[in-house]
Amino acid sequence: MNNRSGAVLRQIASVTKTVIAILFLIPLIFTLLVSLRPETEPVTKGNIFFGSELTFENYQRALVIAPWSLHYINSIIFVAGTLLVQLVTVTCAAYAFARMRFLGRDLLLMIILLQLMIPSGVLLVQNFRMINTLGLFDTRIALMIPYWGSAFGVLLLRQTFREVPIELEEAARIDGANLAQVIRHVYVTNAIPAYLAFALVSVSTHWNEFLWPFIITRSEGIRPLTVGLNKLIKTTDQGAFYGQLMAGTLIVIAPLVILFLLFQRQFVESFARSGIR
Amino acid sequence: MRARSPRKPLVSFLQPYLLIAPTLILVLMFNVLPAIRTVSDSLHRPARGLNAAGKAPDYVGLQNFQDLFDEAHYMGARFQRTFRNTIVFALATVVIGVPLGLLLALLLNHQQPLLGLWRFAVFYPSLLPLIGAASIWSFIFSDSIGLANAVLKSLGHPGLNWLGDRRLVLLSVIIVNIWKQAGYFMIFFLAGLQNIPRDIYESASLDGASDLQQFAALTLPLLRRTLLFVIVVSFIFAFQTVEQLQALGEGGPNDSANLLLYLIFQNISERRNWGYVNAMTIVLIGVVLTFTVANFLLFERDESN
Repeated sequence: MNNRSGAVLRQIASVTKTVIAILFLIPLIFTLLVSLRPETEPVTKGNIFFGSELTFENYQRALVIAPWSLHYINSIIFVAGTLLVQLVTVTCAAYAFARMRFLGRDLLLMIILLQLMIPSGVLLVQNFRMINTLGLFDTRIALMIPYWGSAFGVLLLRQTFREVPIELEEAARIDGANLAQVIRHVYVTNAIPAYLAFALVSVSTHWNEFLWPFIITRSEGIRPLTVGLNKLIKTTDQGAFYGQLMAGTLIVIAPLVILFLLFQRQFVESFARSGIR
Repeated sequence: MRARSPRKPLVSFLQPYLLIAPTLILVLMFNVLPAIRTVSDSLHRPARGLNAAGKAPDYVGLQNFQDLFDEAHYMGARFQRTFRNTIVFALATVVIGVPLGLLLALLLNHQQPLLGLWRFAVFYPSLLPLIGAASIWSFIFSDSIGLANAVLKSLGHPGLNWLGDRRLVLLSVIIVNIWKQAGYFMIFFLAGLQNIPRDIYESASLDGASDLQQFAALTLPLLRRTLLFVIVVSFIFAFQTVEQLQALGEGGPNDSANLLLYLIFQNISERRNWGYVNAMTIVLIGVVLTFTVANFLLFERDESN
């Protein structure tokens, strides 16, 4: 009896799984198909999936409307510039909090953790003001600087550093290693998975960022992909050119989807840790 | 823990402070100070800032907040409608999205053929930029040629004005958010499920408990902490994920589908209502802070060390 009800349950599970997966995939598949349809053919014409022919004209048009290669470079600079500085600041702070004793340590850690409770994403107004005060409006630095300190990263790496056996550091010290060498060769080396997790979360978060870049920049020359996509959305409003909008959307989302396919397991693990972001 | 070098006491005293200085200064500059200034600016009008060049701000006490909670005031009406929407949006994400995430985790927890593909199918939306996701769905929901209406029409329904009808825009935004977040919630549940020891199921099976009984009596109680955690996190996230509105009706018509952070964003872009923007930011910070602290008290305290 138990076996039979189990078999039925398994079948229900398998059907449910298939239905949900298809529903979730439809937007992506549809986007791809629409981007490959001739622009002039409405979706209702002919086969619901394919137009009369497959064409890349939407991509060519989307490429003309916005300077995608420029936006790509801007996004890469934004994401890489944010991450590289984060790696340095986070490593230094994480080591101090994990392995050093100093006056006010817990209080200072609490102050840094305030970032988790008051994320800069909700402080748009005042950070906008701060950037203006610093004279950084419409610069690449303005995009990155609020993210250069990361409480999430400090917390993640502090935890990881604490699990590194202290004997490794002592041995390195006896061999004459200085602080920078200890951090690099003992701690960083032993925390690579944590760094990968942090990098994946940081890269995907900032690659997708829109409100802040939109507010803090004006020049096309430094605006990232999401802002370029916004422009395409606004120019295609009211429906006429969905083919090229879908082509543009795919141009923007492709890198992360590919990155995910390459690092699927690590992505799932790192996102699981990002709840405290 | 490290013994201080007696020869360089000052250097070794300063060392930890120098190491944390960059992070500390950045957090003070872009989180703590802005939060303090938000409080102070929310009590002024016109607040210090761009639209008040040269003119000293007037201290108005809680007047900005009173206006926000006054239905008759134009900003108060906007704020209240938007705040209600945000609560509905957050609750819908929790009530539908979280159980969906749990269901997905249960379905995709065990080794099975094509597991990578299944997980990709439900997880990829959480990787997309909100604005890209919104762009895709703006097409699905589009009036004349969209997929949603094509399906409705094939069923004999005349079709709906998804992004134009005031009763439907918020629903559309909620659908997109659930599609986007369910896979993200799933991974927390997968992590939670992985922590449940296998053998308790084996003994339950031997006792003749069916799969459903096992789920109700074992899995669900053991996942209680994860469940609570995901609920709190999804609530916090719901208050911060608003960029999709840019392509899904822009909060309209008449703020019928507007969300709090997006209303703030709109007012910054239009460079006005500085005092109100700060007061609304205080409300937003209040909600996020409350839930984050609750989360911390519920989960982190006994896990530290």
